[in-house]
Amino acid sequence: MATNRSRRRLWTFGVIATLVVTLLYLTGGVVSGLRGAANLVVTPFSWTINVIARPIGHLLSGAVNYSDVVAQNQRLRYELGQAELKNKENWALQRQLHEMTTQLHVPFVGSLTMVAAQVTTISPTSFAATVDISKGRDDGVLVGMPVVANGGVIGSVISTTPHGATVRLVSDVNSSIGVTFGDGATTLIVSGRGVNNGLSAASVPLTTAISAGTILSTDGLAGGLYPPGLPVARVSQVKLTPGAPTYNVTLQASADLRHLLYVDVILWEPST
Amino acid sequence: MRRALVPVTLVTLIVVGFQLAIFSTLRLEGVVVMLVWLWPLCVGLAGYTSLALSAAIVAGLFFDTHAATPFGLTAGVGLLLAYAASRLGREGVGDLDSAAWWVTPLLGALGGFCAPLLYTFLGFFTLNFGLWRGSLLDSMLVNAVAFFLLARPFTRVARSISGVRERARR
Repeated sequence: MATNRSRRRLWTFGVIATLVVTLLYLTGGVVSGLRGAANLVVTPFSWTINVIARPIGHLLSGAVNYSDVVAQNQRLRYELGQAELKNKENWALQRQLHEMTTQLHVPFVGSLTMVAAQVTTISPTSFAATVDISKGRDDGVLVGMPVVANGGVIGSVISTTPHGATVRLVSDVNSSIGVTFGDGATTLIVSGRGVNNGLSAASVPLTTAISAGTILSTDGLAGGLYPPGLPVARVSQVKLTPGAPTYNVTLQASADLRHLLYVDVILWEPST
Repeated sequence: MRRALVPVTLVTLIVVGFQLAIFSTLRLEGVVVMLVWLWPLCVGLAGYTSLALSAAIVAGLFFDTHAATPFGLTAGVGLLLAYAASRLGREGVGDLDSAAWWVTPLLGALGGFCAPLLYTFLGFFTLNFGLWRGSLLDSMLVNAVAFFLLARPFTRVARSISGVRERARR
């Protein structure tokens, strides 16, 4: 009797498990299905906690940071004015650049199609610098596509679901991007150093004319993951240790990675 | 113990909710305080091995589904912490009543200090060799301090909800 019962239990468990796995597979992959299921379970808890905690947090941070908010607002007004002015000035230049790139068959800037997406989640751990965005495979977003926002490259897509994607930021320890600067003669690799530590570039030769303020842009070498000319980082400090064969360069990401709300996914795939 | 599994799982889900809704955005020096490791550690310190292990699995796996890091790594670290803590808990080392007040926070701090290191070490087995390059030392220090402060109240909660059956017997 007991054997029958345990056998029946085993069968029931097996059938349910198979059904669940099949369902997960059909709804867009096992991992994303698991993720969705886990989200369904945890969302009521995090939503309730958010509803209770957010007003308290806003009250406290509002009381403490009011002067910062006013200062930030003034700075943003100034930057907006500057951007509008620059936008008007750039109109003629953009038109000229578009004509030139069309003639030179350079595959970037104006010709790239982009998909705007909202940042839905920031990585919940300090061991990975990633964000989740609201656009996925159904919108043409594929693994490897570059993502830009806030004035530069922020990273590339590492996984997708039908309605979402995960973007690995340039500051992630597993991120590395080929960049160039100036006349494009020197190519460097910019690597992430973790959420707190920004970016680094290894083996910058002493013969290179690099200085603080230099903008490093994607090199766009054949087969590379990024189209050429996208700003990645700005050199904030160049140090030379006596006896060292290379410069020690401190970099800052061109994009503001701390305040990501909306991003643009460039629908670009590397040429093979 | 089976009766306590339901409230412990419920509290574990609430802890995951707190982790994702608040603690993952409220970063100290850019570091996330990992409540999903602290909770199983505290259940372990309360002396409940199987409950601690189940809390570690539930908290770790639910957290891992939200992170881009290797799946199961957080759960693995939680399991190790929970097991080690429950061994100590069974010996009465972290007992809130009989041990000195600082013993539980100190064990919590030790757990918080070692957990990111374990995470990085286990990362090697998932072929993630770059985890140490992030904010490892910051993570160790921030989690040690946070676990020191939170270990005692968490252990008290763990003991009160895990002791459902004992109370029911009395």
